[in-house]
Amino acid sequence: MLRIECPCCGPRDHDEFRYGGDASVTRPAHDDPDPEAWYAYVYVRKNPAGLHREFWQHVIGCRQWLVVERDTRNHVISSVAFARTSQA
Amino acid sequence: MNAQNQRLPGGGRIDRSHPIEFSFDGRKLAGYRGDTLASALLANGVTLVGRSFKYHRPRGILSAGPEEPNALVTLGSGGRREPNLPATTLELGDGMVVETQNRWPSLAFDVQSLNGLFGPFLSAGFYYKTFMGPTRRAWMFYEHFIRKAAGLGRAGTDPDPARYEVRHAFADVAIIGSGPAGLSAARAAAAAGARVALIEQDFLLGGQLLAERSDGIAAAWLNEVEAELKGLETVTLMKRTSAFGVYDGNVLGLAAQREPLDTRSTGEARQTVTMLRAHSVVFATGAIERPMVFSNNDRPGVMLASAARTYLNRFAVLPGKKIIVAAANDAAWRTAFDLAEAGAEVTVADLRAAPPPALAAEAGRLGVAVRTATRIVDLRGGHAVRRATLSGPGGQSETACDLVCMSGGWSPTVHLTSHLGIKPRYRDDIDGFVPGIFPASWSGAGAMMGAYATADTIEDGHRAGIEAASFCGKSAPVSAPPKLDLGETVTAPLRDVPSAHRGKAFVDFQMDVTTKDIELAHREGYESVEHLKRYTTLGMGTDQGKTSNFAALAAMAGLRGATVPETGTTTFRPPFTPVAIGALAGRATGHHFKPFRRTPMHDWHQANGADMLEVGLWMRPWFYRQSGADVNEAYVAEMRTVRQAAGLMDISTLGKIDVQGPDAAIFLDRVYANGFAKLPVGRARYGVMLRDDGIVFDDGTTTRLAESRFFMTTSTAKAADVLSRLEFLLDTAWPDLRVAVTSVSDEWAAMSIAGPQSRAILAAEFPSLDVSDAALPHMGLLEGEWEGRALRILRLSYSGERAYELYVGATAGAQLWNRLLEAGDPFGLKPYGVEALGALRVEKGHVAGPEIDGRTTLDDLGLGRIAGKRSGFVGDVLRRRPALLAPARERLVGLECIEDGKRLRGGAILFLPGEKAHGHGRGRVTSVTFSPERGHYVGLALLAGDMAAEGNEVVAVYPMKAETVRARIVAPVFLDPQGERLHG
Amino acid sequence: MASPDFSLSVSDCLLIQVEAWNETLGQFETSLSASLGTDLPASVGETVHHENLLIIRVAPRRLWLALDDAAPAPPLAVDPDLGCSASLGEGRVRFSLAGADIARVLSTCIAVDWHAPTAAPGRAVHTSFHHVPVLLLRTGEASCELIVPRSFATSLSDWIADGSYGAI
Repeated sequence: MLRIECPCCGPRDHDEFRYGGDASVTRPAHDDPDPEAWYAYVYVRKNPAGLHREFWQHVIGCRQWLVVERDTRNHVISSVAFARTSQA
Repeated sequence: MNAQNQRLPGGGRIDRSHPIEFSFDGRKLAGYRGDTLASALLANGVTLVGRSFKYHRPRGILSAGPEEPNALVTLGSGGRREPNLPATTLELGDGMVVETQNRWPSLAFDVQSLNGLFGPFLSAGFYYKTFMGPTRRAWMFYEHFIRKAAGLGRAGTDPDPARYEVRHAFADVAIIGSGPAGLSAARAAAAAGARVALIEQDFLLGGQLLAERSDGIAAAWLNEVEAELKGLETVTLMKRTSAFGVYDGNVLGLAAQREPLDTRSTGEARQTVTMLRAHSVVFATGAIERPMVFSNNDRPGVMLASAARTYLNRFAVLPGKKIIVAAANDAAWRTAFDLAEAGAEVTVADLRAAPPPALAAEAGRLGVAVRTATRIVDLRGGHAVRRATLSGPGGQSETACDLVCMSGGWSPTVHLTSHLGIKPRYRDDIDGFVPGIFPASWSGAGAMMGAYATADTIEDGHRAGIEAASFCGKSAPVSAPPKLDLGETVTAPLRDVPSAHRGKAFVDFQMDVTTKDIELAHREGYESVEHLKRYTTLGMGTDQGKTSNFAALAAMAGLRGATVPETGTTTFRPPFTPVAIGALAGRATGHHFKPFRRTPMHDWHQANGADMLEVGLWMRPWFYRQSGADVNEAYVAEMRTVRQAAGLMDISTLGKIDVQGPDAAIFLDRVYANGFAKLPVGRARYGVMLRDDGIVFDDGTTTRLAESRFFMTTSTAKAADVLSRLEFLLDTAWPDLRVAVTSVSDEWAAMSIAGPQSRAILAAEFPSLDVSDAALPHMGLLEGEWEGRALRILRLSYSGERAYELYVGATAGAQLWNRLLEAGDPFGLKPYGVEALGALRVEKGHVAGPEIDGRTTLDDLGLGRIAGKRSGFVGDVLRRRPALLAPARERLVGLECIEDGKRLRGGAILFLPGEKAHGHGRGRVTSVTFSPERGHYVGLALLAGDMAAEGNEVVAVYPMKAETVRARIVAPVFLDPQGERLHG
Repeated sequence: MASPDFSLSVSDCLLIQVEAWNETLGQFETSLSASLGTDLPASVGETVHHENLLIIRVAPRRLWLALDDAAPAPPLAVDPDLGCSASLGEGRVRFSLAGADIARVLSTCIAVDWHAPTAAPGRAVHTSFHHVPVLLLRTGEASCELIVPRSFATSLSDWIADGSYGAI
């Protein structure tokens, strides 16, 4: 049971959240016509054995989307931030 | 009834004022409150308690704890039957009915003990090598009998009537184990200001202290510390609770047993699983004694030295009169001394040539015979040990005995600490494994960390408790723990290396694995510990190899000429001890297996003949019994009612989302394939959303309520996914858009009235509303009031008939439903269920879930024109990938069944006529219905685009029912292609 | 259901949800605070009770105004340049729970630390109850309310009733 510390709700069980995939990939602008950019965004992943920046949504809670840094080898979570503030 | 001949007249921690009667294989026996089943059996002189897994050898009680490999029993009967319970941890309860396992016709005479004669055919990995011929099917023949002969207990097959519970708990510091280290840690952590949970699997606190005399200094120390802890509100003592798993986030899985003596029916759960979330954890789980490995070491009457001491001091049972204590360390001598003081004749056989002189001196004082540099090499005795063969400097000799206590050393109980993948590491000084490197929130103390002297474990626990509390930010000053010095000596152990022998020398008692099996595995190349484990099944029993793990590693290391650390160790995984499946489920069974959702009209459906169906979590009316004798008759009748008069359907389950904000229109333009920004206020539009990869995600209808406000509906199944998706885009992709999205699914009761009479019925019920075609055209919105409540009427059709969706606040839903039925009765209005709902839309050719299955695109579904020339919406770019536009891709078609009396089935695979029905075919049938319009079955299907010419025939094959049906390809709409009924 | 150790009653729950746009949070809060005549809860999980309203911050930019029983809704005009509002008066019910046994009963329903400051009286905690999102409002030492989606209400009240054996 991962415990994820939501920035505004505090530490919660992972089943209060919904996983949203890799947060390190860059989403093209909504009107970007380049198929290569969209292909890379949708399909190409580094899949590291180590720190992984990923999206989680606190669905049973504030419903904010978060960016979580989790070590894929041992589930240790080193940071959690609102997606809105970390997309800069 | 047997007398308890092995019970001493005084002493022990049993309550002699509460005698208990129980039944063992039909025999009535007696014990006392405070006994385990094992101690009561030993008190009654019962030494034979089971038959081994493969060879059906007679077995006795080896230990006094959860590490017990032999004494597994079955408790209870019928639905409450529970097999494989260790007698050593089973708290004795009044009226207990216990049966031994794995024997027929009786424990004393077990026919399958003849398996012993087939030993050579049943060695490790036998099922890969023997019983293989003469044909391939031969194994399946033999396997049937071998399977029946194998196994330990038998599971029951009746439903379990017991009540279980899962609960959630929190603590600052969780301490696992209540021996001297754990008690000391709890005391310190609590004093430092932490909220402490002390977890103990036994029904008494104390751990190894319970093996000491119940009237000595250890008992006094235990009483003092226990009293101190009981007096603290911040300490929760969890007895009878086993920590079975350590999970991420310092979440511990705990399984608690109910007290067996509570005969009042309080409805209390039989077992409770607690998920304990702790800030920090102290592991004080102690150590498990190692058996010695020698020929016939599995005879009844052979037990671990510390176990014999526990039976003596805790339970006042003297399990033998002529006792041999085989030792390789100092601790076992304490067993010898206590047994001698209780009146037994004791001989110590120590592997070491020069054990500490102080021990020899004490032995002399007590009349204990001592043989140094001596080991047991063989035992004799069938149902109970009778003679031991000893080998020493003077050669071999035989000694009569009725109890053998053995101690091959100690293995720290590291299992829980490796559940998260932290590999244990070897320490030379204790010749054993301790835990690997801990994260900052974990501490370890006592024997589990290799500190064996009681005084050391108390100090260690004290330190760990302070550390654990400090991690939680609690560091009030703590006084030193009371002292306890039991005067133990701890010298380096000597490893027991098995000598040559003739009989079976067991390493894993429960799985019947011997030294010969390990040698065989090594010879055949299975020499890594992972292979050794799986090839021999060593360590794979219900005891998880607790008493065999180290000896197996040491044996394999010896064979490989390597050291133990070089050989490595396998990974321990949860559960540490078995947990009942019922306990893990708790109350989430039957009625509560999953949460259920009900619409505002649920009670009406139940009271008015609806056969209810689970659709995801929702309860929906499947069909109404008054429509027909069964679902197949009913749905057709309901379809006819809708097409000829009118039907009323509860559609409250639809996902509904409120979309608001100055940028709401722009937002919808980006998330839908078709445009919404120019949708006039008061109009609705069918919309399709794609995924980023160009595949259709969901469809629904969105209505513009105001310039900056929209009412979006989604499919029932995808409601939550769509909302999350919208929030994802707003939070991460387009954070500048000023849009708020909120689920309003439960706010609105929704019902659809469909059929030629629908408008007349609305006019009758809402005389003050203008429901004319001019005021409310197809895809129009009418907002009004009904009984003082807001009412929305959307003219939308799913069935292809003239139809309206009505939305009113959930608390008024049932009332509106009733009123519409009343108003509609003269027009022939009847309710219809989801079966008819689905059938109507198939007839009309609307795509739904079976077509929008995560693999289809807009073009596949014939909806390519919806996007027109638009771009810049989610999924637009990747939907134009060449592969997704290939002509051979499966496209939506209609099918008509052209064989009388036959039917189409959803999921049937399509082939060309004359083609062999083999492989994936040319497509698949997605949705079917009997069509009252056409008088035969029709369906929607996805068929390879280059085969999909209308008028051609295909063959629909459904192998699971061996059905083959011919069908003709037609346009995917079976009535009113011009939509006259919708608009007329 | 009621006994000295535990009781549960169910009632309607009138809620108004208000939400600020990202860039206008400060102005939105100033304006809302002025029109309600009270300070707003500063962070998620805090509540402020004012007249017949319980104001709850449920997300960084989202607040719920929960009306006490049958009270009229306050006149609320939200400037569309600052944020928006939605009436959520029909979709939820209120479970009122009280009794000495309450912590034990709730421990079999939700994973909330009853003794932690985040669950103290006056606090609001979103949590999962049998996989359903609910909002816990701690009202006293041995009392609380759960705001539950209406469609799940029977499922969850059945769960509570089945669990509080010996106490009902």
